[in-house]
Amino acid sequence: MVETIHVSNVLLPILYLLSFGIYTYDFVKGHPRLSNVKRLFLFLTLVFHVFYLIIRTIAFDHPPITNVFEIFTLIAFAISFSYFILELVTDVRGTGLFIIFISMVFQIISTIFIRDLYEVREELRSNLLGFHVLAAMLGYSGITLSAVYGFLYLMLYKELKLNKFGLIFNRLPNLEILEKLSFYSAVIGFILLSVAIATGVIWLPIAFPKFSYLDPKLITTTIVWLMYGVGIALKISGQWQGRRVVTLSIVGFLIALTSTIVTNFIATSFHSFY
Amino acid sequence: MNLLAISLNHHTASVDKREAVHLNNDEIKKFLDELKENYFSEGFILSTCNRTEIYGIPIKSELNYLHLTNFLLEKKAVVEITDENFQKFFSCSALNHLFRVTAGIDSLLVGDNQILGQVKESFSIAEEKGFVGFLLKRVFDHAMKVGKRAKTETLISEGAITVSYAAVQLIEKIFSNLSKKSALVIGVGETGEIATKHLRDKGIGKLTITNRTFEKAEKLAEEVHAKILPFANFKESLHEFDIIISATSAKDYILSKDEVKVMMKKRGFAATVLMDIAIPRDIDPNSKNIDNVFYHDIDSLSIIVDQNLKKRKDEIPKVQQIIMEELISFFSWFNSLEIAPTIKSLRDLFEEVRISEVDKYKNKFSSEDVEKLDLVTKRIINKLLHHPTTGLKKVSELGTDSPEVMLKIALVRDMFGLDKSEEETK
Repeated sequence: MVETIHVSNVLLPILYLLSFGIYTYDFVKGHPRLSNVKRLFLFLTLVFHVFYLIIRTIAFDHPPITNVFEIFTLIAFAISFSYFILELVTDVRGTGLFIIFISMVFQIISTIFIRDLYEVREELRSNLLGFHVLAAMLGYSGITLSAVYGFLYLMLYKELKLNKFGLIFNRLPNLEILEKLSFYSAVIGFILLSVAIATGVIWLPIAFPKFSYLDPKLITTTIVWLMYGVGIALKISGQWQGRRVVTLSIVGFLIALTSTIVTNFIATSFHSFY
Repeated sequence: MNLLAISLNHHTASVDKREAVHLNNDEIKKFLDELKENYFSEGFILSTCNRTEIYGIPIKSELNYLHLTNFLLEKKAVVEITDENFQKFFSCSALNHLFRVTAGIDSLLVGDNQILGQVKESFSIAEEKGFVGFLLKRVFDHAMKVGKRAKTETLISEGAITVSYAAVQLIEKIFSNLSKKSALVIGVGETGEIATKHLRDKGIGKLTITNRTFEKAEKLAEEVHAKILPFANFKESLHEFDIIISATSAKDYILSKDEVKVMMKKRGFAATVLMDIAIPRDIDPNSKNIDNVFYHDIDSLSIIVDQNLKKRKDEIPKVQQIIMEELISFFSWFNSLEIAPTIKSLRDLFEEVRISEVDKYKNKFSSEDVEKLDLVTKRIINKLLHHPTTGLKKVSELGTDSPEVMLKIALVRDMFGLDKSEEETK
């Protein structure tokens, strides 16, 4: 079984790369036949990823949530899975490459650094932790999608302002749809992150009795959570719209990303699972 | 095939000459009567603002292009038009030209899809006059098929190629649901009117127009079910609109950047499209520097138009391939309209049926009887086919190009499904 895991670990980034390739080719060439083929290919990649996550859990006797590289493969899956659902629901098919690219990067990093891990720290064997990680992963997928759509919004906005009518203009959906996709992803991400924070706060004193309220993870998470909360409130009340809202979403995503890197690799935090 | 055609079009003649020979429907009807009497057994006339064309099957073989061009020029009495202003086609080239026309690749605006409707109308008029026989009917069917295939199988008619349509296309890149948006059109001259109609066709939620001359606005408002704002104070309501299209003939800006800024503040900086399709421009172009203002003028819209035209031109080889396929299909049908192949196909069909029926029942007969069965069925078929075969041979004495011969052959082929059964065997 371990051999299968090793092969799958190498196959996964290749599959994401191929999905990314088909989505990119379709974006550039706009071939009508490819629009269903690419969706099917992404679906098969996701099915294979689920298979990989399951056999990993069985072989090493724990779900892949106990260190950062296990988390990375999970987030690669969650981002593409969320996108896949979004594509099915909205039938907006021209933006996949920008999302799958992010999954691909996470999966490549995971594939390179992930190790066969049989021993798990005792405090990480908790159902509450599983729930916390699941909510956090989907929440982060939400804000990733929101940032990507926000970025696409800004690109199209710029092209329209500068009278450039190239690939971005021809292939992307319109500004209003991009803004909506970015906003709804942010709302879903915000709700799930709230759940993740709530479960984390309950679990934290149980697992780490000596934690500090000034821990960098807690501070950055609170900042990101507040930013999204304020942004969503401003948008709903109609005070902010368009460019400002999507910029806030992108900044929020960048802070969240930096926070993850800092708390896991650089600073000393209870959240360093490296 | 003796199809003869002449065409005076935008490739060969200036707009004044095209206008001079343009025929309205009443004129076309009158001309068809005369063509029928003197020149053609079947025919039709196509006349649009960019082309006037006459197609027909000559009654006499000595008919030439000069007869036709003279016929047209005498009727329209235009001296400055010469023989050089006409393109002339015969047989395959005439058909090829008609297919190019219906596919939209001969149009002034490549991929123009109005032409298909215009060809259809020309045919209906000719049909009404009893001037379309089985041959031209077939030509028409193929021409329509070419037009439809070009439209669905290629991108020849994709994308906006007029400034006012490009404006609408651009608006759709900013807003997703036009039925929830409101638009104001300032100035309802020709361009403004076209833009207004495009917006209505796209299902705009609220449509309002304003014009210096109120009566003109009233007329258009009634036609497109739009509201009217008095021109004197339309600026007070600017913030109510998501889309503002301006196409007045004013010499100076009618909207300054500051006025746009005030409007945006009142709107809470919600996205607003300003389309300035007037020459000279109506709206201060610096307005584009305001957040969430999407300002576009004729120049930027022309970029879209040029890009789309280029894309359409790139599709021409695909359309030509479709035309070639349909020409082959038409001529393989046409070439089958000969006596000998028809008799052979008819005999083959009967023989095929005979053999399959004999095979089906031969187990029920002794081997001696099977031979007799074979003989008897052959004799029945020969007797049944004797009369049609000699009849067809006799008809052929009238000449292969005679419409009467072709009609009879086509009838036989159609009744016995010969074309269908041959396609199945292939």
